[in-house]
Formats: sequence, structure tokens, C-alpha cells
Amino acid sequence: MSTKQPMAERSATQIVADEFMIARAKIVELAATLDRIERASGNVDDSKNMQLLVQGIHILIDDQVEKAKRVQLLMSRDYDPEWQNIMSISKKGG
Amino acid sequence: MDYIDPHLHMVSRTTDDYETLARMGCVAISEPAFWAGFDRGSVESFRDYFRQLTDFEPKRAAQYGIAHYTWLCINAKEAENVSLSREVIAMIPEFLECKNVLGIGEIGLNKNTRNEATIFLEHVDLAVKHKQQILIHTPHLEDKYQGTRMILDMLMGDSRIDRSRVLVDHVEEHTIEHVLENGFWAGMTLYPVSKCTPQRAADMIERYGPERLMANSAGDWGPSKPTAIPDLIMELKKRGHSRELIQRVVYENPKTFFSQSKPFPH
Ligand SMILES: [Zn+2]
Repeated sequence: MSTKQPMAERSATQIVADEFMIARAKIVELAATLDRIERASGNVDDSKNMQLLVQGIHILIDDQVEKAKRVQLLMSRDYDPEWQNIMSISKKGG
Repeated sequence: MDYIDPHLHMVSRTTDDYETLARMGCVAISEPAFWAGFDRGSVESFRDYFRQLTDFEPKRAAQYGIAHYTWLCINAKEAENVSLSREVIAMIPEFLECKNVLGIGEIGLNKNTRNEATIFLEHVDLAVKHKQQILIHTPHLEDKYQGTRMILDMLMGDSRIDRSRVLVDHVEEHTIEHVLENGFWAGMTLYPVSKCTPQRAADMIERYGPERLMANSAGDWGPSKPTAIPDLIMELKKRGHSRELIQRVVYENPKTFFSQSKPFPH
């Protein structure tokens, strides 16, 4: 399967032209959300969700590829290949 | 453009929605059995629900020229109740010969618990014994990755399963590759908040190609948009993709997959 074959018809320049306003709006939304948290009373230093948001934002600006997938995995519970033994689920029909 | 929505819960939609879908080019729908917004109290409640899916909804859809197909099961959320689930599974064969039933679904996991996995395997066994196709629900948000891997482990651990007759729905960036590279079909669910947008679905089509890949709108009790497939069609057109590619994802692929079930016109 040609999973690595890019099919995009648009150039990078074209995508930036097409999507600048959309991406800009999303960045402003995110910035305003962080401002809102900052202005509010209380402390979120120990909040797991706040830490996830900050780590997610770091993924956006690092120099690695597959950002959407990496943000998704960051926000996911871990998978343990031994789960069937741990839960004592019998393997059927194998 | 004619299209098929392979995962749309019309019981939670109005008749006006059928009309809008028809106007937008929807020619067929497949409706997996799912959660009703509340936990049902008895097996009789499911029997009535299956009558609705196999008798009433096809008639409602037909008024707008839309073909209606369905899948039967007790969904993962209610599967936590193991004894009720077993009663429902025992009753499903009564409906398997109905002329719009494509298979067993949407079965899967919700919170990835032992009870959910137990009932999932019992559904798979039912499907295999009755030579039914399977439609899979993968969990959402933080449970999706773990749950999808668990589901794939269970399916791949069963040598009786023909992977080309299994559709794994609600794939996203972090799960699509596991589903496709193991030979299953994959469905992307377009949803305003918690799932995938038409833009991200278009990205996955560009990234992985159209083989064994389709898109659906879910259109359930949550905030969802039953006309999300036309949004995806527009996005792909805007990006300059060919009519052939678009048609393959929104029409040919669901048709090819469904054709493996007896009731679907070959
Ligand atoms: Zn569903």
C-alpha cells in the first residue's frame, strides 16, 4: 500500500495562501484561551489537562513531522499489548 | 454527485433531514445499531428498536428515494450490562434475514473494559457463525488509541475473520494506519467537535490514498451534521482532486464493501 505517497494537488505556497486566515483564527482562539486561564483565579500548575495542552503546543512548534498524529497520541491512554492476559480475556477461534 | 453515507443514525434525525440528504445527492444510507441516548431496560426494548431499523426506517428513507440498510448489535456502552447483552445477542438471529440487514454492528469498545471486550468477542462469534459482515465502533478521545489496538488484537487473534468484510469506523490520524495496513476497511467520521473535520479527512485521503477508505457523518444524538459528506466532497474539489477519486471514496468504496452482504444489490 502506498501509504507514503503524497496525493496533494496543492503546493505548500498554495496551502499557506488558502489556509492562512483559518490557521490565524485558530492561533488567536488558542492564545485567548490561555489569556482567559491566566486572568482567572485559582492555580492550574497541577492540572494534568493543562500540562497536556502545553505539551501539545510544544509539538506544534517543534521541528518534527506528523504533528496531528503526535498530538493525538499525547492525548491518548497507553496501550499495553499484554492487556488480554491482564484482563484474562480468552482469545477466541484462534 | 451521488454518494452513500455508510454510518448515519437516522432514528435520531427528522424526516426533513432525509429530504435534505436526498437533495444533496445521498442515494443510500447504512445505519448501525447504537446507543439511544439512554440505557435501555430490557431485551424487548431492543426488539422494538430492531423492528424500527428493519421495517420503519427503510420506509421513511424510501419516501425520499434513499435506500436504507442496517447493522444489528447491542452497542459497547450498554455492553457493560453482560446479562442484557447476552439476551440481545441471542435475539439478533430473528432479524438477520431481514432484507436490509448488512451484518453485525456497530460493535466495539467504549471505555475499554473487560465486560465490553467479553461482549465484543461474543458478537464476533455471532457474526462468524452467521457469515455476517462486521461494522466496528472505536472509542473516542483519550480512549480511541488504546481501544482501537485492543479491537484489532481481538479481530486478528481470530483466524476465522475475513478482514475484507470488516469496517473499522471513527479512525483518526493515530489509528488509521493500524487499521489499513492490517487489511481492514476504515471509516472516517466527520463530526464538528470530538472526531474528525472534513479538512482532516481530506488530509488522510491524500496521505493514505482511497483504497479501503470511506467517510461518514454519524449523525447521532450528539452535535453532529448529517450532511457532512457533501462538506468533504467540497473540500476535496477545492483542493483540486479528481471526480474519480472523490467518487471512489464517497460512493464506490461503500458500494464495494456493502456488496459483500447478501441484501445489497450486486
Ligand atoms: Zn455510530
